[in-house]
Amino acid sequence: MTTLAIEAHSLGKHYKEATALSDLSLQVEPQQIYALLGPNGAGKTTTLSILTTLLPPSSGTARVAGFDVVQQAHEVRRRIGVTFQEIVLDRDLTGRQVLDIHGQLYRLGKAERTRQISELVALVQLEDAIDRGVKTYSGGMKRRLELARGLMTKPEILFLDEPTQGLDPQNRAGIWDYIRTLNREHNLTVLLTTHYMEEAEALAHRVGIIDHGTMVAEGTPAGLVASIGTELIRMQGSGDTAHFINTITTLPFVLRVDQDQQQGAIQIYVDNSTRRLLDVVQMAGSNGMRVDDISIARPTLGDAFLHYTGRGLRDS
Amino acid sequence: MYATYVIWAKHMHKFSRSTEEAIGLALQSVMWVVLFGVGMRGLVGDVGGNDYMSYMLPGIIALSALGGAVGGGLILLDERLRGITKEYLVAPIPRLSILLGNAASTATKALFQALLMLLVGLLMGARLAGNPAGWLAALVLVALFALGFSGLALAIAAQSRSIMGYHGMIFLFNLPILFASNALYPLDVLPTWMQVVVLFNPTTYLIDATRALAFGTPATLPLLLSAAVVLGLALGGVGLAYVSFQNSLQRTM
Repeated sequence: MTTLAIEAHSLGKHYKEATALSDLSLQVEPQQIYALLGPNGAGKTTTLSILTTLLPPSSGTARVAGFDVVQQAHEVRRRIGVTFQEIVLDRDLTGRQVLDIHGQLYRLGKAERTRQISELVALVQLEDAIDRGVKTYSGGMKRRLELARGLMTKPEILFLDEPTQGLDPQNRAGIWDYIRTLNREHNLTVLLTTHYMEEAEALAHRVGIIDHGTMVAEGTPAGLVASIGTELIRMQGSGDTAHFINTITTLPFVLRVDQDQQQGAIQIYVDNSTRRLLDVVQMAGSNGMRVDDISIARPTLGDAFLHYTGRGLRDS
Repeated sequence: MYATYVIWAKHMHKFSRSTEEAIGLALQSVMWVVLFGVGMRGLVGDVGGNDYMSYMLPGIIALSALGGAVGGGLILLDERLRGITKEYLVAPIPRLSILLGNAASTATKALFQALLMLLVGLLMGARLAGNPAGWLAALVLVALFALGFSGLALAIAAQSRSIMGYHGMIFLFNLPILFASNALYPLDVLPTWMQVVVLFNPTTYLIDATRALAFGTPATLPLLLSAAVVLGLALGGVGLAYVSFQNSLQRTM
């Protein structure tokens, strides 16, 4: 059996007033990209803080790169790179100084720092800006610089907390490319948190859906989608929604019905959406529902998320 | 403790780049010495066999070290609130080196300021004692004093939730500490109750020792005791900062 890159058993984090995390377990194989998907406040950052030795767990254990995050924190720290949810950069330094000081903290020699900086600056395409003050950088450039900083010390495992939060689509796609390249060409294991469905779908080999401080489902993106039932009818309508949902839930071919509270959309999971579409429309009509829009959809990771957490992600 | 050096060097680099901070510190020093020193000298004349300028220089140097400590705490607080501390915390470096780096840069700035004040003071007529070893010893004490109080400031900064809260906690660090010491008046003119207060203030010991070592004013307290108190302050301050910082790490930031 190969050593797992990340291994957490029944992690919990309790505060006097609240429980941030309870009984969370996860396993990440080496060279995988693993995405923790969940709304804000679900416990993603707490999980990451424990795995990166920032926060001691109240209960449970975790090993990163084979070392215990509490007992052998120093060994863990030597082997990981981390970027945080908020942008954490010293505005009064240049990009080069940020990277150089980071390398010094890890006791890299002068020659190695210079080599790493030129390599990483090329990777994240900051050649033109690297000697400018960080305060002149755009949001996307700051994220790229942080990614480069996380990679300065050649980590075995990279932790990224919401790596594309607040970025425009172009910058987001850029960061995704870097992450894929690193994973493929440098065999880097990546654990990232995100509340963007597309991000998890685009990047991750495995996804863990986390909600209210605990893992509610876990698997490959395709596996998660498959696990929720075969096909999907999505309907938007007005009328006695609750009554309608209660009625169709009892039908034999309906596997499950979800309602997205924010959007008002009703998702009906059925055995065969083409065959059952007409039935659903008729049921709506005979139950006083006015159908504004109805469509057949292939379930996505977003549907899997809604299925497991009972809420959409868009509001977060 | 290589990381201490790295963090110290980073702070010093930022300090050297920040002209406002440097000019502010320099102006503060010069104004204290020139305005306060010259004004009071007209009123007071000689104290303890030395002119007033020489008498009060150690006190305002101590005051500037206190101000520096407040600033050092502010740097940690700012780095904490903005999350920059996390970069240190996930690095394979001792937690203590984060605090020591900060305290060391604070003490370095305090030393700069002390030297500057000394220079201005000399130009304004203060007279140094003959022995350079004494000057050096006095500077070491000033650095230890700055280290100690920046430890106390860091202990508070590690727990504060906002800049405002920090300032509320820390207002004691300036004039009250100065007035409750022998900085501006000799011990023996004070009523007994105030002497007791003043003797509980470590600043008193720094000032008394600095006067004796650098300016040749006869010591009113045993030199060794003064040195021990200042050293104790330095160790205690850093120790307290460490405990407070470790404690703050049990929670999310």
